[in-house]
Amino acid sequence: MKKIVCLLLLLFLVTGCSSNNENVLNVLNWSSYIPDEVIRAFEEETGIIVNYSTYSSNEELLAKISSAKTGTYDLIFPSDYMVELMIKRDLLEKMDTSLLENVSNLKEEYLGLEFDVNNEYSLPFLATTIVIAVNRDHVTDPISSYNDLLNEKFKNNIVLLDDQRIVIGMANQALGYSMNDVNATHLDNARDWLLTLKKNVKAFDSDSPKTFLITNEVDIGVMWNAEAALALQSNPNIEIIYPLENGALSLDNYAIVKGSKNTENAYKFIDYLLRADVMKTIIEEYPYINVNMETEKILDSSYLENPAANIPEEIIAKNEMVENIGSDISKYDRLWAEIK
Amino acid sequence: MNRIFKRLASLPISFYCLLLILLPLVYIFFLSFLKSDSYGGFTYVFTLQNYLKLFDVVYLKVFAQSFFIAFITTVICILISYPFCLFVNEKSKMVQSILMTLVILPFLTNSLIRTYGWMVLLRKEGIINTILLNFHIIKEPLSLMYNNLGIIIGMVYTLLPFMILPLYSSISKIDPRYIEAAKDLGASKLTIFFKIIVPLTVSGLFNGVLMVFIPCIGYFFISDLLGGGKLMLLGNLIKNQFLTARDWPFGAAISIALLLVTYLLVRIYRKSGGEMDDLGGL
Amino acid sequence: MQHKILKNLFIFLVFFFLYLPILVLVVFSFNTSRMNIVFEGFTFDWYKVLFENRSLLEAFKNTMIVSLVSTLCSTIVGTLSAYVLHRYNFFGKKLIVKLLYIPIVIPEIVLGISLLSIYTLMKLDLGMFTLILSHIAFSIPYVIISVKSVLTQLNPQMEDAAKDLGANAFHVFWNVILPNLVPGIISGAMLAFTLSLDDVVISYFTAGPGSNTLPLKIYSMIKTGITPDVNALSTIILVFTLFILILVSIKQMRKIKKEARV
Repeated sequence: MKKIVCLLLLLFLVTGCSSNNENVLNVLNWSSYIPDEVIRAFEEETGIIVNYSTYSSNEELLAKISSAKTGTYDLIFPSDYMVELMIKRDLLEKMDTSLLENVSNLKEEYLGLEFDVNNEYSLPFLATTIVIAVNRDHVTDPISSYNDLLNEKFKNNIVLLDDQRIVIGMANQALGYSMNDVNATHLDNARDWLLTLKKNVKAFDSDSPKTFLITNEVDIGVMWNAEAALALQSNPNIEIIYPLENGALSLDNYAIVKGSKNTENAYKFIDYLLRADVMKTIIEEYPYINVNMETEKILDSSYLENPAANIPEEIIAKNEMVENIGSDISKYDRLWAEIK
Repeated sequence: MNRIFKRLASLPISFYCLLLILLPLVYIFFLSFLKSDSYGGFTYVFTLQNYLKLFDVVYLKVFAQSFFIAFITTVICILISYPFCLFVNEKSKMVQSILMTLVILPFLTNSLIRTYGWMVLLRKEGIINTILLNFHIIKEPLSLMYNNLGIIIGMVYTLLPFMILPLYSSISKIDPRYIEAAKDLGASKLTIFFKIIVPLTVSGLFNGVLMVFIPCIGYFFISDLLGGGKLMLLGNLIKNQFLTARDWPFGAAISIALLLVTYLLVRIYRKSGGEMDDLGGL
Repeated sequence: MQHKILKNLFIFLVFFFLYLPILVLVVFSFNTSRMNIVFEGFTFDWYKVLFENRSLLEAFKNTMIVSLVSTLCSTIVGTLSAYVLHRYNFFGKKLIVKLLYIPIVIPEIVLGISLLSIYTLMKLDLGMFTLILSHIAFSIPYVIISVKSVLTQLNPQMEDAAKDLGANAFHVFWNVILPNLVPGIISGAMLAFTLSLDDVVISYFTAGPGSNTLPLKIYSMIKTGITPDVNALSTIILVFTLFILILVSIKQMRKIKKEARV
């Protein structure tokens, strides 16, 4: 009995110590975004311990950042519109790009975008676009637009992202509106469109929609391009379709949280991820759209020849981005509860 | 010395009740009357808005869905548990204790892992469908999950022992002479069940109902994993208010509504003669 | 006769239902196929993968720390409190007795969000500390109930005798009462430990960066795809649980035998 008590006290001490560890970095990132090996290699190289947590939507990220005590998280990866919102709410620390040796690796076209014109608070990490992936083993009908998904034949055969901005945006685009439309009548139409589509939807999943395709649970999926690329890798009969509508582009960014206690480590980690070869490892495991010029030069054919990974520039150019719609978000919240 | 001991010894429990039970609940109650701002915070302005919002058709639907799932789950658990406990009760004492240990055993492993086991079984190309297809029992794979059926299977599975255990303990306390007497007087099996067994086990039954129905409303991970995120239950709604929609006051109001339902069920349980100490015992 | 077969069949079917998903995971943890659909060949690979997964091992370490520390604390507080509530009357006791049942009956999610709210209110860092505190919060009542059931069966004269011999209140509790409570304390602690080990809902709301527990880690693993190492992990957990259970029952058997001899 005494031995057990001693052991427990010892454990207690150990926990007390480990939480006081100085050399840490608290990263909050999307699930399935940076391979474990990359983080381990960084830890080995720098001796910094990375506490890595994940989220599956920008809204979840915002909630986590605003409810946690300042200093809880250091580095986050918000998407475009969320960067803008976080800047407005004073949640981000200004970035000092002079501390980043590899910042020149970034492609020009992804810098200075509207949500953070001078890249004062954020730098691009990866981009992603929405594609439709269709398993041609089972589905022969032509599919080119979101509206084609309403076909009654596809009952219970579609997986969608569990992301209200993307899914409602999809409905808006299918009806000819902008992805960020907040007009009440338009949103009513979007709801009706989604309720029709829902009959065909088997599941809403943001974390791993590819699994549904790979296990033949469904034959059609509307998902981020990397998920589709991975599905294609395991089943070559999957066809990748860029939707006829404008589609959605999302740019995820490095950003340092206001009040971060480990900014120096955060810069080290960003700089590490900006390296050409590190980004190559990331992008080969999770084939999103590359924003790194130097990585571009060394990418393998497996990435370049995958239509869901290497997205044509004209598609990216016509893509719409999710915008911050302010308090109108409550309309989206309600609509989302309505279709679920 | 004795008084000091009494004082000191009663401190931890008082602090515990105050800080970890009373304060959080009072705070949630307080929160539920605050106005939420669009930035995900709240302003200290009194409002009933959050409670009125509960009566919005959209959210009433969520309540209805959750209670429906919880109700079906509870009924299925009762239908399985009664015969199971009665049959087990007929075995020898030794066998009884082994069987009841076997009921508890799976629940000492991780509940998520067991839910994952069901995912492997229920998939379109999962084990059940594969076997049924290979034996030509079905032609098309059945939709066993990513719908209400999947959620109910998961809930029944996870919560069944919470019905079996209290029911078994009250069934095993029935004096067998009652049943024999009834038999001698020519009562049919159904009459014995409804006139003797059910009334004598009613507190165990309500104990089970309470321990099945209430968690069923809150287990968001089962509807997430086995329901495919298509059906919003109260657990998911509360989780969303706190972790994504950032409307804490509304989330607090839903929680208070849920507490009221719990309170009602506890009252029924107490009326049926149940003891508080018997609740939640695995 | 026929009745008996039907009854046994029903019992068997219920057990089949209870053990089916576990059986599936154990079998497929040795399957070479990643897809879990057909059994293709025997392998130990997933166990190797498991032990190379550092974040999983980290989560395991966290879970053990949280469960052990919270069990220790709630057992100490719970045992003492059960005695105090049983023995003394003091201001607020009635309210405390009522409050104690709250964590048992209310939906876990409500307890989770209300704890999260006050942690935010008090500006506490979400992490190991809040996690342990939350686990203590929901385990104490179970320990109290378990200890209380033994206390009510104790002979009150024992305490009086000790007092007559000049023992003070602390000595009575420590030397006379406590040794007699051991069975209740152990079963209370076991209950607290298993509840803590398996908690998903409350941990989901009260964990922070660097305090990922095993259930939370498994949740995200399941959500992000098919990973047979989850099967391997569950097999290990199952074997571990079985081992402990057998150990406990062997000890009990021995004790029963010993008592029988005496």
